[in-house]
Amino acid sequence: MKNKVLIPILLFSIIGCSEGFNIDLTFGDSKSESDSVNLGIDNAFASTYLPMDSEPILFKSANIYDGLGGEFRNYDLLLSEGKIIEIGESISAPGVLVVDATDKWITPGIIDIHSHMGVYSAPEVTTSSDGNEATAPVTAEVWAEHSLWTQDPQFALALKGGVTSFHVLPGSANLFGGRGATFKNISQNTIQAMKFPGAPHSLKMACGENPKRVYGNRRQSPSTRMGNMAGYRSAWIDAVEYADGMNESDEDRRPTRDLAMDTLMGVLNGEILIQNHCYRAEEMAMMVELSKEFDYKITTFHHAVEAYKIADLLADEGICAAMWADWWGFKHEAYDMVQANVAIIDQARNGTGCAIVHSDDAVGIQHLNQEAAKAMAAGNRAGYEISKAHAMRWITSNPAKAAGILDQTGSIEVGKDADIVLWSGDPFSVYSRAEKVLIDGAFVFDINDPKIQPITDFDLGIIQPQTNRVQ
Amino acid sequence: MKSLSLTLFIIFAVNISSETVLLKGGLVHTANGESARTQDILISDQIIVGVGTNLIIDGNTRVIELNGLPVTPGLISPMSNLGIVEINALDVTRDDESDLLSAGFSIFHAFNPHSTGIPWNRSNGVTSAMSTPSASSFPIFGLGSHFILDGSLEIKGSKDIAMFGRLGASYGSRAETLSMLESLLDIGKMVKTMSIQEILEMNLADQLELQSQDIIALGKVANDRMPLVLETNRAVDILQALSMKKKYGLNLVLVSVEEAPMVLDQIKESNTPVIIDPMDNIPNSFDELGSSLDLGKILDQAEIPIMFSTQRSHNYHLMRQGAGNAVAYGMSYETAIKGMSNTVAQTFRLNNRGSIEVGKLADIVVWDGDPLEPSSFPKMVMIEGQLQDLSSRSSRLTERYTNTENKPSSYKH
Repeated sequence: MKNKVLIPILLFSIIGCSEGFNIDLTFGDSKSESDSVNLGIDNAFASTYLPMDSEPILFKSANIYDGLGGEFRNYDLLLSEGKIIEIGESISAPGVLVVDATDKWITPGIIDIHSHMGVYSAPEVTTSSDGNEATAPVTAEVWAEHSLWTQDPQFALALKGGVTSFHVLPGSANLFGGRGATFKNISQNTIQAMKFPGAPHSLKMACGENPKRVYGNRRQSPSTRMGNMAGYRSAWIDAVEYADGMNESDEDRRPTRDLAMDTLMGVLNGEILIQNHCYRAEEMAMMVELSKEFDYKITTFHHAVEAYKIADLLADEGICAAMWADWWGFKHEAYDMVQANVAIIDQARNGTGCAIVHSDDAVGIQHLNQEAAKAMAAGNRAGYEISKAHAMRWITSNPAKAAGILDQTGSIEVGKDADIVLWSGDPFSVYSRAEKVLIDGAFVFDINDPKIQPITDFDLGIIQPQTNRVQ
Repeated sequence: MKSLSLTLFIIFAVNISSETVLLKGGLVHTANGESARTQDILISDQIIVGVGTNLIIDGNTRVIELNGLPVTPGLISPMSNLGIVEINALDVTRDDESDLLSAGFSIFHAFNPHSTGIPWNRSNGVTSAMSTPSASSFPIFGLGSHFILDGSLEIKGSKDIAMFGRLGASYGSRAETLSMLESLLDIGKMVKTMSIQEILEMNLADQLELQSQDIIALGKVANDRMPLVLETNRAVDILQALSMKKKYGLNLVLVSVEEAPMVLDQIKESNTPVIIDPMDNIPNSFDELGSSLDLGKILDQAEIPIMFSTQRSHNYHLMRQGAGNAVAYGMSYETAIKGMSNTVAQTFRLNNRGSIEVGKLADIVVWDGDPLEPSSFPKMVMIEGQLQDLSSRSSRLTERYTNTENKPSSYKH
């Protein structure tokens, strides 16, 4: 009766998210037709996303952070056919819907590079715990999107926080956890209808405590950090051989198709982006070395609590670090937290570092603006001079870059997807709220219009039959 | 300019004690419910001896010009693991769970004043905290104590001042949990008329695996109005807790209460304070379907006393961010400030602190901006009249890794 047990929520957070489980991601629509064999998988589970209906919209007299470091006061912004058409001091567009944005702020839609929405849905029950295929240390064959529950109420909550796109990763129990995918934040009844068109897959890898704990506790490899490294290297050796085999001109000499190897091969071919859960500095440096041994590219280190210790290395290698503002202490590899972490990464090598503020959390994703505010303030206390316009990059263009979607979204530039947030005030203030959110030029959230507020099937009539869970 | 004079003062004043100090011209949030206004605070020998605009001082009084910076009481965490958990995922660093005791499990003597979480939270404005046992499969986890976060080995605080537990979805049926809670409270009532030894020999005590410490603690809850702090969320569970409060005359505090808006009148009538996480709007369980960011506003409008917990471990100062979000969603600013200090003091009967009023101990924080903005940070922290050093392991690491000297970081110190 008195057996003390770890609080389930804590256990969940340790295993499910922050402890980092890997993902395996393969597939991409950017695969070069000339140099690799067409496996017939490039269009498997492809996006069927279609923007919602929209009309041309002109925001008048807005203050704008463009997500690239630019700040524009009292500017107009014209959207049409789902795209950003014009940014200027005085735009006239007769006949279009005009939204007065005086004293308000416009930013690009917020992007979270690390989410488990839909794979660790709410309520947090075992029947919806679909984020970690923790049955073997290498599960590069699984795809997070195949676990996604489209009715997760967390999507709509994130939307109210201005999140227009998010990258869903498998958890971090495994060395290779499986593929991650990027979504537009519009609940639909199929997963494919939510997938961000053209976004590459990622492959989740995980360093450190999680894989060695999960498998070490089962008396199997890996049970140590050196076991982790051996596991990665063995898998890459197999992948190199598989990729070579698949490039054989004689079809009969090609290996039997293998889902896990497809994913790793996709990384080697540059089609799948590595999203690597890794906390400690020396482990991140080892992963960089590993990527050179097998000639692949790491896109982002996730959680990266100690990234500040190797900020120059990450800048030199062109690797982004995705970080929390201040979470720490829940495990040993998260012990050396500094609030200036994000700023130090950002400022490395004359400001060429790629810093991202991520959530890995269904509450945090709703307040990424506040998390960025804390990180910016800590950086400035540490002696940097980081403007709000600059810090906006950490939750917009930088995560877009890390997700491989910067060509489409993540900044306010002519020609990009009209993924836009209108804030009631300074986006870095705790008091400001997202008033309107647009995805591809369509209103998907309006704080004043209940008809433009998504209610998932889960929310519908669940407490009182005649009302909804959240209004 | 302002910040410079303040910084210099702190450098010189850290070790100065028992002098008279005037904090001049701060925007003072007294946390007694009134709006902030610019006034001075006079502190002598650990105690606030004056709050006002024309305080009389003598020539020996040290004057610190605050130039309009916001001032609040030191923050008091109503529920933390400070000093008893260093790293959650490392059992050998945890002292928050007991295999032997339940209701009577005291963490007081496990408190480590050198835990790295203490300087970190102190530098972020938390001057004292309730530290509590962690959740267990038993409905009652044990006793929480209040600690002053000055890092001294001479541990200052109040031992075993509240009991913590949970009612709702956990392990087994809540019907059983309810019946166990009632049995435990029945045993507590027996302490008035029976000896501990007699109670220990009862079947019921044996079935509940109670030790003498458990029974003594239950007696304090059942007879002496020691606060019983119960985490509960589902509307109907809240009603069960309130009816237990009535039946046993409990000094009840409710935690989380995500479905409180559905039973608002009953909570208000029962005069029960609550501890909430204003940022938790996730329906994490089927007990929390009513979870919403409007909770703080709704409770405030019903004039229910509100305190703030934080979702994650280690950063108890983030109650500020929670309070700020509560205000963004409609809670009054004064309630939010009070909820981080005075309401906690009143709820846990910490009678000599929690507000900036004459006679209170001088636990005071001066902020570089609006204390409810997450980007604000303390410029000065005072505990019982003593200015505190604001360094932490985190600030030391920051200094080391922003030092651009060309040598190994292990030589940068």
